[in-house]
Amino acid sequence: MSPLLTACIGIALFFALLFMRMPIAYAMALVGFIGFACLTSISTAFSMVAKQIVNTFSSYSLSVIAMFVWMGFLAYYSGIGSRLYLFAYRLIGHLPGGLAIATQAACAVFGAICGSNTATAATMGAIALPEMQKYQYDDSLATASVAAGGVLGVLIPPSVVFIVYGMATEQSIGKLFMAGILPGILLMLAYMLTIYILTSRNTELGPAGPRASWSERIAALKGGLGEVLVIFGLSIGGLFKGWFTPTEAGAVGAAGVLLVALMGKNLNWESLQKSLWDTTRTTAMIMLMIAGAMIFGRFMAISRLPFELASWAGGLDFPPYLIMAIILLIYLLLGCFIDALALVLLTIPIFYPVVVNTLGYDPIWFGVVVVMIVAMGVITPPVGMNVYIIKGVVPDIPLEVIFKGIWPFLIALVVCVIILMIFPQIALLLPDAFYH
Amino acid sequence: MRQFTAFVAGLSQQLDKLAGLCIAGVMMLVVANVLMRSIFSRPILGTYELVGLLTAMGVGLALANCAFKKGHIAVGFIVDRFTPRIQAIIDVFIYSVTMGFWFLVACEVAEYANNMAENGMVSSTTQIPIYPFIYLLALGILGLSLVLLLMFLNSISKALPGFSLARLPWQSEWQDNTRKASR
Repeated sequence: MSPLLTACIGIALFFALLFMRMPIAYAMALVGFIGFACLTSISTAFSMVAKQIVNTFSSYSLSVIAMFVWMGFLAYYSGIGSRLYLFAYRLIGHLPGGLAIATQAACAVFGAICGSNTATAATMGAIALPEMQKYQYDDSLATASVAAGGVLGVLIPPSVVFIVYGMATEQSIGKLFMAGILPGILLMLAYMLTIYILTSRNTELGPAGPRASWSERIAALKGGLGEVLVIFGLSIGGLFKGWFTPTEAGAVGAAGVLLVALMGKNLNWESLQKSLWDTTRTTAMIMLMIAGAMIFGRFMAISRLPFELASWAGGLDFPPYLIMAIILLIYLLLGCFIDALALVLLTIPIFYPVVVNTLGYDPIWFGVVVVMIVAMGVITPPVGMNVYIIKGVVPDIPLEVIFKGIWPFLIALVVCVIILMIFPQIALLLPDAFYH
Repeated sequence: MRQFTAFVAGLSQQLDKLAGLCIAGVMMLVVANVLMRSIFSRPILGTYELVGLLTAMGVGLALANCAFKKGHIAVGFIVDRFTPRIQAIIDVFIYSVTMGFWFLVACEVAEYANNMAENGMVSSTTQIPIYPFIYLLALGILGLSLVLLLMFLNSISKALPGFSLARLPWQSEWQDNTRKASR
């Protein structure tokens, strides 16, 4: 059997196992092993799997994931999210749709200390939804705004998906983090505008909340924003300035959140333990997925599929933007079924050489676009992880109601991706200015 | 069987606690190194390799509990539509394959550690032997295959209604635990 045919059968087997509910990490490792064994020998394949697992798990560079994950869980358990929301709520909660707009601002700022869209959606869902229900917000708008707002957690640094993309493509994590800032702010503004338009046309969707006095607003400012700015400045600022490696930035950030939480008496022993157990579980899940993707990537590499695909795409008589559009469409379709992180890990070895080496697109810009595209998957049916998380927070609201409200936010996200494709400078401005 | 369930549950939790200590250790070590480097211009020797080895232990030892709490992401929207019995039959296949695969991987990683021990492989800066960390990683993967064995047995009892395991009390207890965990 030819290596290329083996690779195609391997990809088909992977999807078959995936849709049989085999965990993604297991499926990637198993298919990678079987494919590698077919093209070499069983003993060589076992040896490769063992070495990949040892090398991935003991990688200093990948230890950054555990640090940023813990930082996010510490922020979650110490209640920083609720204090951030309180500030945004007192500032703009009195406007029509103000609570939903405030949720976007709080999601963006919470994203600055938490690298996960699910953690951001879970945190803000638990805090913002009861408030929006209290002021009789439309269920669809309230739930969808929080689910969509979670996406901001992936774009605004630190972001686990950017870390994994950086590792897989050997790009600077600092540059990727920096490239995510402006698109993250753009998306936040697009979401806010969407809510404003929706509630202006129908004020019953998001009735205005009570107006807070300026003294109340200033009091709320002290309870969350200051802490986040200090931790973000120290951790991510230190990374941008070159003081820290990514792992050090994550460890300093986690230590900073822990210190702030302990000083403010916002974290007890039980919450600290919970944050640590959630971190070990999430880190194990991510790292096994990376190891699985590495094994799968080795199989793909010896089958030469990525190289053949790259030379085939290079020989096509299509303009590069059309090939790029097809690739992004594939991401969009796969993103509806496969987890964002797994999709990046799975597809980067295949598409990255085509996009960067053959078509000549900027790898940092491509990373931002891919992250935005795969992030759509967390709010689209049938998998839509963030929607299920919000459903868990408000079990009495049917899934259909949440998905119905997602559409305007999805359109905003698509518009942002189009803007980013037309104006790549939005992503590249900060890294270019800072690193030159 | 009840003893086996209790053993697997207890083992995965204990391994996870050790993993938590490793992750906390990484954070403390890295922060201490940053402070020593910036304040006293004296970084802690071997931080780079110790962080790698502690992370390997931390991740490896957390694998079993992550699987026990169904933490590994799977795509269930097709299988979820089938009847519970069909789902259980599919699960029997999935768990039998993955259990066997991870058991063999655990053996291979242990063999890798054996070779390291025989060749006297040590870390480059601090000269710490690497093989004990790799043995612990193999133990973590073995724990993962034990959890998958437990899930395999549970799926068999669901796929075959007359199978005696279904009537044992441990099963409902285990199902309650996993249901709570998945929430």
